[in-house]
Amino acid sequence: MKIFIIQIIISTVVLAQSVDFNSPENIKLFADYLFCDHDYLRAIDEYEKYLNFFDNDTIRFKIALAFSLMDEHTNALKNFNKLSEASQLYQLSQIEELKSFFKLKLFPQLSSKVSEIHNLKSEYSLSADKILSISYLLNNYSIPAEKLFLAPFNDQEKPIVQNFYLRKTNPDYKSEILAGVYSAIIPGLGKIYTENYSDGITAFLITGIFSYLAYTNFEHRHLTRAWIFTVAGAGFYAGNIYGSVASAQIFNVKINFDFINDVNSFIEAKNYFIPEYDFCK
Amino acid sequence: MISVNRKIFVILIVLSGYCSAQNSLKDQFDFAKSLFDQEKYFDAITEFKRLLFFDKENLYGFDANLMIGLSYKAGAKYNDALKYFSLSEMHTKNDEQFFNASILSARTNILRRTTLQSEKILNSLLANSKYDNRKKEIKYWLGWNYIFSNQWEEASEIFSEENLDTTLADICKSVVDDLYNENFAKYSSYIFPGFGQFYTGEYLNGLISLGWNVLFGYLTINSFAEERVFDGIMIANFLWLRFYGGNTRNAEKFAKEKNLIVTNNALDWLQYNFKGSKP
Amino acid sequence: MIINKLKLLLLIFLFSIIAHSQTDWVRWEKSDPDYKIPSETIKRQYDLSIQSIGDVVLKPVINAYWFFISDVDGDNCPFYPSCSSFLFTSIKQTNIFQGTLMFFDRFTRDTNIFERSSHYPFYGKHHFYDPVYLYTLDEDLIKIIPAGTQVKKIK
Repeated sequence: MKIFIIQIIISTVVLAQSVDFNSPENIKLFADYLFCDHDYLRAIDEYEKYLNFFDNDTIRFKIALAFSLMDEHTNALKNFNKLSEASQLYQLSQIEELKSFFKLKLFPQLSSKVSEIHNLKSEYSLSADKILSISYLLNNYSIPAEKLFLAPFNDQEKPIVQNFYLRKTNPDYKSEILAGVYSAIIPGLGKIYTENYSDGITAFLITGIFSYLAYTNFEHRHLTRAWIFTVAGAGFYAGNIYGSVASAQIFNVKINFDFINDVNSFIEAKNYFIPEYDFCK
Repeated sequence: MISVNRKIFVILIVLSGYCSAQNSLKDQFDFAKSLFDQEKYFDAITEFKRLLFFDKENLYGFDANLMIGLSYKAGAKYNDALKYFSLSEMHTKNDEQFFNASILSARTNILRRTTLQSEKILNSLLANSKYDNRKKEIKYWLGWNYIFSNQWEEASEIFSEENLDTTLADICKSVVDDLYNENFAKYSSYIFPGFGQFYTGEYLNGLISLGWNVLFGYLTINSFAEERVFDGIMIANFLWLRFYGGNTRNAEKFAKEKNLIVTNNALDWLQYNFKGSKP
Repeated sequence: MIINKLKLLLLIFLFSIIAHSQTDWVRWEKSDPDYKIPSETIKRQYDLSIQSIGDVVLKPVINAYWFFISDVDGDNCPFYPSCSSFLFTSIKQTNIFQGTLMFFDRFTRDTNIFERSSHYPFYGKHHFYDPVYLYTLDEDLIKIIPAGTQVKKIK
């Protein structure tokens, strides 16, 4: 009998060495490994399997975070939303939601989420205010006064954000009309004004050469040639005025493009002002 | 007597436990392999990764990594495939395994058209005396490597050696025969405008090209002959030279285009009709 | 053998930078390789279909220009679309007057050999990308592609 009991105990212990790949614990272990290996889609599948066994807010949060890290913000929002208010990670999920709203350019939702975060008296209220301020740089709503706008930022961030504020309120646009007028006065000047220097010089030379050719041919009574050069010269002259206006317009669109890029790079580098946390340490 | 029996029993139980741990790994490998066989490569990779994660003694370090590499290769994700073939190379237990992983790396590099890398891998295998009995196989893939690096002549030669593969040798030979000489097309058009176009079968284009060159050549010479120097320079520079230069560039372009058609036809045949091993 | 392993480790390190798990952020299926080499040539789209009254004059002229001149004088245009295609599309998208002005402006830019790579994205290996939509004066159509970006996918 004794031997039998010992046998049973030993066999149980030893059998435990065989791996049950589908036990909840092992599913979670494997999912964590995938998550930390940035293999997020597979990690999500595994975490969802785990949730069939146990309800767990940390796992829900990690699913949402995995979506967010894959830049799938609609799915991230859906999953952050599933977190209960009682969860320890609830406040963090709210600020992560802000990031997703920002990425999806859902500015009205972002704004009301900031109010919710304030109501919660969350420790992330200041971060939320920072994201809200930055969001004004990228949407078309009227931007708050400078002092109010800069209020949430610390001394290190302030100069950068202040510069953004100035670029937003006083962008370095070029006047399309002025570009056209400049080129009408001196061919190519409008292009130089829009900082397309070599195009401006080329336009000046081409128009100049054709005008000269037209002039000398009229002088020498080669009328056919003279008229061909006149038409070509006039074409280049008018085309350059048109091109200068277009060039100013492109310049301005590029100003906006660079501005948006710079703001996005800044907030990305700041990780949306979300305090550092790491599930993989 | 009893105590001896007991000892034997304990040993048996321990062994069976160890075996059962191994069995569960084996089952997992088989499961992942079955997904691979069903061409469910994404899921197969998940299961092979799971196996690797729980395989603390790295019993499947070679096989599972190799299978992940093969899965990525089947999905045409060659960078990832190469990463896992390299990992499997790190877990080889014998020369045979190393050889297989290296050949797969070379084949993936061929498909990725990083043929310099595949050539390096194959040449190092060729130089290794351990694989003297596998020389034919290595040379076979070197031949494919030449095909993918557009060296059809070399490919034809290597496939002809010791009748390595006569079908492939013939195909490569016919490509070599059908290819146009790009330099000949270009330089013949320098001497006689339109000739390179005729050579590549673009008769109409060649004829128009010849026509423009004759016309503007005549007008240029005529202008100089009548001492209208400005007109001569203008016509020569903006018209004659434009069409003369265009003529030589076109001849070369046509030869290149036609050559691309020839090679692509061959590659298409190799991909869909050739029955032997392919990269 | 140790050197080999070191080499392998270095390779793996490099690969881990290039081939992150991003490949698997979207489920993928089996995909056959393509043995064929993609062609770099930009095929001329001859088209004589008449869709508007303007086409009656414009299309024969443009097609004849392509056939007798453009296809014979070599690839002189540094841009994609070529100057003649640019003229044709400009007129189609705006009107004959504006299209012609756009063409003269394009021709000026075509003549300028400086600052090209700091101004335009690349189209394939041999051309700069300079599309019509930038110059129609419709701000909403303008999409900025940073200079040096490759617009056409090269395999």
